[in-house]
Amino acid sequence: MSGSLLSGDATNGAGLLLALALLFPLVLAVGLSFPAARARIGTLLAIAPLPALAVALLGNGARFVMPGPFRLTLALDASGAMLMGAAALLWTAAALYAPAYWQGGSMLRRAGLWWLFTLAGSLGVFVADDVVSFYLLFSLVSLAAYGLVVLEGNSSVRRAGAIYVGFAVLGEAFLLIAFVLLANASPGGSLAIADVVQGLPFSPWRDWTLLFLILGFGTKMAQVPLHLWMPLSYRATPIPAVAALSGAAVKAGVIGLARFLPFDSGSVPWGELLTVIGMISAFYGVLVGLTQTNPKAILAYSSISQMGVIAAVLGMGLAAGRASAPAEATFYAVHHLFAKGGLFLAIGVVAATGRWRIWPVFIPAAFVALGIAGLPLTGGALAKLAVKDALGYGLVGTLGKLSAIASTVLMIRFLTVLRGTARTDAGEALAPLTLRLVWWGVAALAVLAPWILLTPATGYPLSDAVSPSTLFDGIWPLAIGGLLAIGGRRLLPNPPRIPPGDILALLRPVGRLAGAASVAIERTEARLREWPIAGAIFLGLVLAFSIAMYLAGSS
Amino acid sequence: MTTPLALPFPADTTPGGFLLVLAILVPIIGILLIWTLGSRRTELVALTTLAIGAAIALAILTELTGTGSAVIYLVGGWRPPLGLALRADGLSVVLIVLTAIVIGAVGIFAKGQFGYDPDAPEKRAPTVFWTLLLGISGALNLIFLGDDLFNLFVAIELVTFTAVPLVCLDGKAETMRAALRYLLFALLGSVMYLLGVALIYSGYGTLDIALLKSVARVEPLLFIAIALMTVGLLAKTALFPLHIWLPAAHAGAPAAASAVLSALVVKGSFFIILRLWFDILPAEATGLGAQMLAGLGALAILFGSVIAICQARLKLLIAYSTVAQIGYLFLMFPLATGSEATPAFASIAWTGGILQLASHAFAKAAMFLAAGLVYDAFGHDRISGLAGAGRVIPITFIAFGLGGMSLMGLPPSGGFSAKWLMLNASVGEGQWWWAAVILCGGLLAAGYVFRVLVPAMARPLARIKVKGPVSRRRELVALALAIMALLIGFVPLEPAPLLGIGRGAEAGLLVPGGLAP
Amino acid sequence: MTGATFDTATLYGLCGAALVGIGLFGLVLDPKPIRKILAFNLVGAGVFLVFGVIARRGAAAGFGGDPVPQALVITGIVVAFSATALAVTLVQRLSSAATDAGQPGQAASVPPKGETGTPGQGDAAS
Repeated sequence: MSGSLLSGDATNGAGLLLALALLFPLVLAVGLSFPAARARIGTLLAIAPLPALAVALLGNGARFVMPGPFRLTLALDASGAMLMGAAALLWTAAALYAPAYWQGGSMLRRAGLWWLFTLAGSLGVFVADDVVSFYLLFSLVSLAAYGLVVLEGNSSVRRAGAIYVGFAVLGEAFLLIAFVLLANASPGGSLAIADVVQGLPFSPWRDWTLLFLILGFGTKMAQVPLHLWMPLSYRATPIPAVAALSGAAVKAGVIGLARFLPFDSGSVPWGELLTVIGMISAFYGVLVGLTQTNPKAILAYSSISQMGVIAAVLGMGLAAGRASAPAEATFYAVHHLFAKGGLFLAIGVVAATGRWRIWPVFIPAAFVALGIAGLPLTGGALAKLAVKDALGYGLVGTLGKLSAIASTVLMIRFLTVLRGTARTDAGEALAPLTLRLVWWGVAALAVLAPWILLTPATGYPLSDAVSPSTLFDGIWPLAIGGLLAIGGRRLLPNPPRIPPGDILALLRPVGRLAGAASVAIERTEARLREWPIAGAIFLGLVLAFSIAMYLAGSS
Repeated sequence: MTTPLALPFPADTTPGGFLLVLAILVPIIGILLIWTLGSRRTELVALTTLAIGAAIALAILTELTGTGSAVIYLVGGWRPPLGLALRADGLSVVLIVLTAIVIGAVGIFAKGQFGYDPDAPEKRAPTVFWTLLLGISGALNLIFLGDDLFNLFVAIELVTFTAVPLVCLDGKAETMRAALRYLLFALLGSVMYLLGVALIYSGYGTLDIALLKSVARVEPLLFIAIALMTVGLLAKTALFPLHIWLPAAHAGAPAAASAVLSALVVKGSFFIILRLWFDILPAEATGLGAQMLAGLGALAILFGSVIAICQARLKLLIAYSTVAQIGYLFLMFPLATGSEATPAFASIAWTGGILQLASHAFAKAAMFLAAGLVYDAFGHDRISGLAGAGRVIPITFIAFGLGGMSLMGLPPSGGFSAKWLMLNASVGEGQWWWAAVILCGGLLAAGYVFRVLVPAMARPLARIKVKGPVSRRRELVALALAIMALLIGFVPLEPAPLLGIGRGAEAGLLVPGGLAP
Repeated sequence: MTGATFDTATLYGLCGAALVGIGLFGLVLDPKPIRKILAFNLVGAGVFLVFGVIARRGAAAGFGGDPVPQALVITGIVVAFSATALAVTLVQRLSSAATDAGQPGQAASVPPKGETGTPGQGDAAS
């Protein structure tokens, strides 16, 4: 559990480095006001996450307490280090990819500031150690990402951006009230995350706190029905940015649930609720994803589905009081981070590659994509292995296996669509070498990094990953999924098309209602402006206040 | 029924007491100098006066924190109830310093804008602007220092008389109409306040707040008096539904004036309401009335924010946002509940409320100044015509955005800390409905802030027409105010000891008969 | 203090109340700014009368009345006078501005309903 090392100590040397590593992107952001820095923006973006990567690798146990009135406490534990290191790698990869993808150009310069801010928040949220710092960094990653979502600037992109920001702010409002409730129930008024979580089981507002935590982080993880923003904004965001957002930024929700839910004491009803939400999202994401035609939208729905699996893992962990659930979910998240980020990068590579030269970039994509569905011996299989115990062997465990089948179908759909995006006008074209190299690098990380991390993160021996039963567990959902995909294509050659953001249309009446309400409010305002009404209100208030005081005073 | 005898005022002029007189007199001396020295030196005199005023404010702060008790000056050496007392406690000092900073910043912003211009058609405008600015700073100081209800009446009238001409400084018919409406509404408020003062005097024979605290009884006379005074002041504070004069007046004034009006002037009358309810009214009579005040505040938050979202013009949007933000201040009344052990001013809601007041003052001043710069740059402030404006004047929009961040309550900003404290208070007090209002207000604020920022930061379809250059100095002033709104977010998230200085038992004022031997 | 008997002070008090009432009626309901200003002065006069009553009731120690309310009334009158002067100036300038704009007397006497008094056409609130 993250809490053990977090209370009471002062800053240590590694902690200072940690703080500096997080400050580094912000310093670079300030540096962007100099033309000389702007000219080298590609390099700046690429080196920005490197200090954090170094600290993640070397600085376990780092702790930083900002002196004076500034409330910022950071602490690096195993889960945080793993996610921060992985996120730093992905951000670096995306930054290396970006200049080649955008061919230099003005897009990179426009992205620079938002990129660095989002990066700082995205890395920082994994190591924030008190409630207020966490909220600060969470807001930073959520809101600064808006700048990346709307980079392309046309009207549909702006609409996606507006919806993104609306959900981000809504999620933050949920979190704010949850954090306030946590702080109020905190023993001794401490705001350290470990302390407030320890106080949670005894809080008089326990259920409300858990509800708002799940709503807040659920919004960030795009859990149904708060998932609307994800397909729209992922489709709108340019590839280098969306790779980082889908891989790294969204994990702020995962770390949030992992840190703030009381796994030590557990809670059956809330754990079950979270599991149900997660499982619904896992299948809903796949079903709607299958109707998509845009590869970015398919990946977005796959993210909803995968985040659903993580939510279900954490939910089962909460219900069972399983203290190892956060570590297992985080490990699963690390694989998803590389895999999803990588697949987004692959979209850009394939789109620049001629159809006759596609295989060197497509085959890794197939491995990574099927890895998400649990292809044996890939990182994905290890991720599934890590959460197998947490999901259990009952109904939820079965549903977990079924979700792997569903993911297989969705990933096959993605690969089909992806193959179709290769260039036909120049069949022999090759994507720029940088793009291919970066993509291969991230693909390798997605397949291999979990091998390195499995044992330290979850305690499972690697031999489990190659045991016959694991191999079999990995293969049969793939086989069934593959058959389903082929059968589905036969039976349903033209699947229905659901626009990205599926149930957004349902919100239209709400919008109309809001419009009507604001018209009514403006009319009221115009009436209030008339003197007789204003005067009557004035005198009425005098009377009302007199009576109010009289009533209070005489009781 | 007998008239209770008010106790003699329980304290003498303290060593630093003369500073309080200076805080009020220095702006007046400045005004006299402006009139005698002629328009060429107006700016120099005015800015010097503001600088001296800031120094005095800091000196009072130092004196207060140094001695740890209230700074008092008895005018003419007469003790209340016969004489007048000026009294600075922690709360007053915070507001005095706040006023000095905001007015000082506005002065630097306005330098050059209202300078001596021999070719201008209206030669009096510069002199008038600076006179009014100094007048407001002196009158506000008088409000924050006054301990006598009638003295406060005079002070609040001075504020009104200086604020109204600021609204119509440009002499256009529309702004004059807004100013007239403002004035008439304010006069309705002040005459009701005066009636309340009369009732209080008839009941208790004193108007000194510190003395009233010890003699006020739970009786209808007091209730009617307080109700009259409160509602009169609500009209001047522009709390919903008595806010109708504010948007037109604040949006029509020149940017520098709007900043002062929105950031400070409405807070002056709020301060008096605060003193009426916490320093005079016995605690057992506040319950329902406090809920009503906060209820109006909640309506203001929701109503003002929604209308702000619907505005087509930037300055009106900011003005309606003021209507909404004023609402938060009134959540203090039910949340800052005191008890035997901890008085109201030692509650987190009290600190949260004052923090909201200060952060709104900084943020709103920054935003109005930014709106003025937008007007300078593009010749209009229609939000629909500001697509891409952020690329032309980035510093201005950063200032606007940082100010908006504080209004939305994003960390790290004063608005966040204020909301955090108030949310904690409403959870702690079991009044969760105020928490819901605060959260909704934050969401709506995000709505109106992003409504401006999003198109401004986007790439425009057509190149935006730029009318004139924007002074870098003015941009930096707006930015500095916005950064102040951010920096005060770093106060500790607990009751601020400064706000308790000179209040309550240690001042010897709460205890009836607490006269020092 | 003899609350039950009907003395001069009570009569003055009632007059004060009546003035306040009439003034408030005018201030709230009369649409013309000038008459609003007059009404404000009526309310003011009523309040000052109430102060006079209070002074009379507080008579003690050889004085014919409590001096403090009397001092307050004098200050109050000065304030009310300044307020009136400011308001009248505004009305006058508004009137001349309206005359310049070619609608004699209109703007000053009857402000348009739902005024927001802001320049520009994009005023969504009006």
